[in-house]
Amino acid sequence: MTGHSVGFILLLPFFAAIAMPMLGSWRRSWCQPMALSSVGLMGLSALFASHGAVTQGPVQYSVGGWPPPVGIVLVFDGLTSLLAVALSFVSLACLFFGGPVLPKDLDGKVVLYYTLVLLLISALAGVTLAGDLFNLFVFFEVAALCAYALVGLAGGRGLMAAFRYLLLGTIGASFYLLGVGYFYAATGTLNMADFLARLPDVLHSKAVLTGLIFIFLGLAIKAAMVPFHGWLPDAYSHAPEAVVPLLASLVTKVSLYAMTRIMFWVLGAATLPFELPILFLLGLGGASAAVVGAFLALTQQDLRRMFAYGGISHVGLIVIGITVGNQTGFAGGIFYMVNDAVMQATLFFIAAAIWHRCKARDLSQLGNLWAQMPWTSAALIVTALSMVGIPPTGGFFGKWYMVLGALEATNYVAVAAILSSTLLTLAYFVRIIEGMFGDKHSEPPVTQLTPEAPTEMRVSMGILAASILVLGLFSDQIVGLILRSAAPPGLR
Amino acid sequence: MFENLLSRPNFTAFIILFIFGLTIMVTHHNLIKKLIGMYLVQTSVFFFLVNTGAKSGSTVPILLSAGGSIEPSIYANPLPHALVLTAIVVAVSTLGVSLGLTIAIYRRYGSLEEEEIIERLE
Repeated sequence: MTGHSVGFILLLPFFAAIAMPMLGSWRRSWCQPMALSSVGLMGLSALFASHGAVTQGPVQYSVGGWPPPVGIVLVFDGLTSLLAVALSFVSLACLFFGGPVLPKDLDGKVVLYYTLVLLLISALAGVTLAGDLFNLFVFFEVAALCAYALVGLAGGRGLMAAFRYLLLGTIGASFYLLGVGYFYAATGTLNMADFLARLPDVLHSKAVLTGLIFIFLGLAIKAAMVPFHGWLPDAYSHAPEAVVPLLASLVTKVSLYAMTRIMFWVLGAATLPFELPILFLLGLGGASAAVVGAFLALTQQDLRRMFAYGGISHVGLIVIGITVGNQTGFAGGIFYMVNDAVMQATLFFIAAAIWHRCKARDLSQLGNLWAQMPWTSAALIVTALSMVGIPPTGGFFGKWYMVLGALEATNYVAVAAILSSTLLTLAYFVRIIEGMFGDKHSEPPVTQLTPEAPTEMRVSMGILAASILVLGLFSDQIVGLILRSAAPPGLR
Repeated sequence: MFENLLSRPNFTAFIILFIFGLTIMVTHHNLIKKLIGMYLVQTSVFFFLVNTGAKSGSTVPILLSAGGSIEPSIYANPLPHALVLTAIVVAVSTLGVSLGLTIAIYRRYGSLEEEEIIERLE
């Protein structure tokens, strides 16, 4: 039964996506309840499967009954369970947020929006479940195609942003596929567990080394790590408001998940000494991403671009945590990944709510926002505390474990990068909050008589901001869970 | 180094196609030409993948006779072919989405040249 619930995680939103155009042409108002219920059921089956995975160990689901390594398998272990639950929770909040208000901006493309979003969620769940390298590629591409289409959905400047995103994303996917080809040529298998078992025989093969470089290059483009982040700010600042929270919180995180999975469960970077120190090199990349991203965020004037660059710097932070090379840092990195999914969604909710209420997106137009939108401002302050890393929030504990891990590994570059990125994050949030309270800036033009954003927006912002605090309060338990059931084999 | 490349003509062809495609994507400013470059990159990767399954003196991977023992050495490896079939489907859908975006861009800005579009963005 647990096995089938693993299949449901993937199939529920997929079938809902296929049914959506038919349903939409019949009763358009049923689209959102349908999407919400399918993602809700997906979350329930993810919780059910997580319970099984945590109590009885990893679940393998052979699709069509063909046993691995020949057949396709879905693997549901501790790491997947964390990601799958976070994925369904955040996407539920995003669908609820978009709700009745935002798809109206897409004039008549509501049905298309729900179809694409459900396909995207299903494909992202597929990436977290995939047990072999090639299916990971296919799910990635399905998710990416939906993301390109969603970015361009509203037309306007989003079209060109979507086109650039598509070009870079396809290059990344081609690099990844090329790396998979090299891996296959070296070992003759694509199944992750089987690959790890055969790796010691070909450890010094140049084909594995080349494949590894291409795979991480491809994933770095998909995850927007710093030299390859060019597509992200444009795509996120011109995409429709209902789309950005979902993309920002999930797509880059899932790429980071794939990176982690390949690093530790396919290449066994924790135990096998490589001639090329991949953990160290990726950690350097992450450190530069954390600092450069936060610095670029500080220089932005547009709210959404600032948040987008903040997301880039957080991708770097997560990479630092994962690549530090001990369990403490790894647990911190994974915990921060879950936190960041929630924080990014909340930040773009806030930007969308401000845009919806007063058509303001420039920092200089946020004067006296506190009086006009108290709920939104409160959510913004909670998220800002977590992005900077102030104690009761989840962000603090993630950074705390990452710094502890880096100190344990005597990796002072990582510590310095985390601390300086924290200071820069503080600086750019001070810029926003100073504008919100002070009267230095011009007030946003009031276009509606209602004092706040619509109820759906407030509720989903409130839930996500509260869950940031909940993640902080239960951080001990969650990090303990990661250490018990999601830590990679062999990592000390 | 050079002899190495000459003794592996298929691999050399893959490298040339791949770099050629990347160069087109970076240097040309016409959106359709960029897409042509992108498709060339994808195709070169498929070519590489198919090559990993090739063996000299082998035949198509279809069983010649039912029953009896199967001799794997006379068949080409079918798995890369299956992978490439799937990857081609992915590439075709990517091309479809990208052409759709190109049409939308042309309708809105009346041009396919990147510089002209950027001028008209404001």
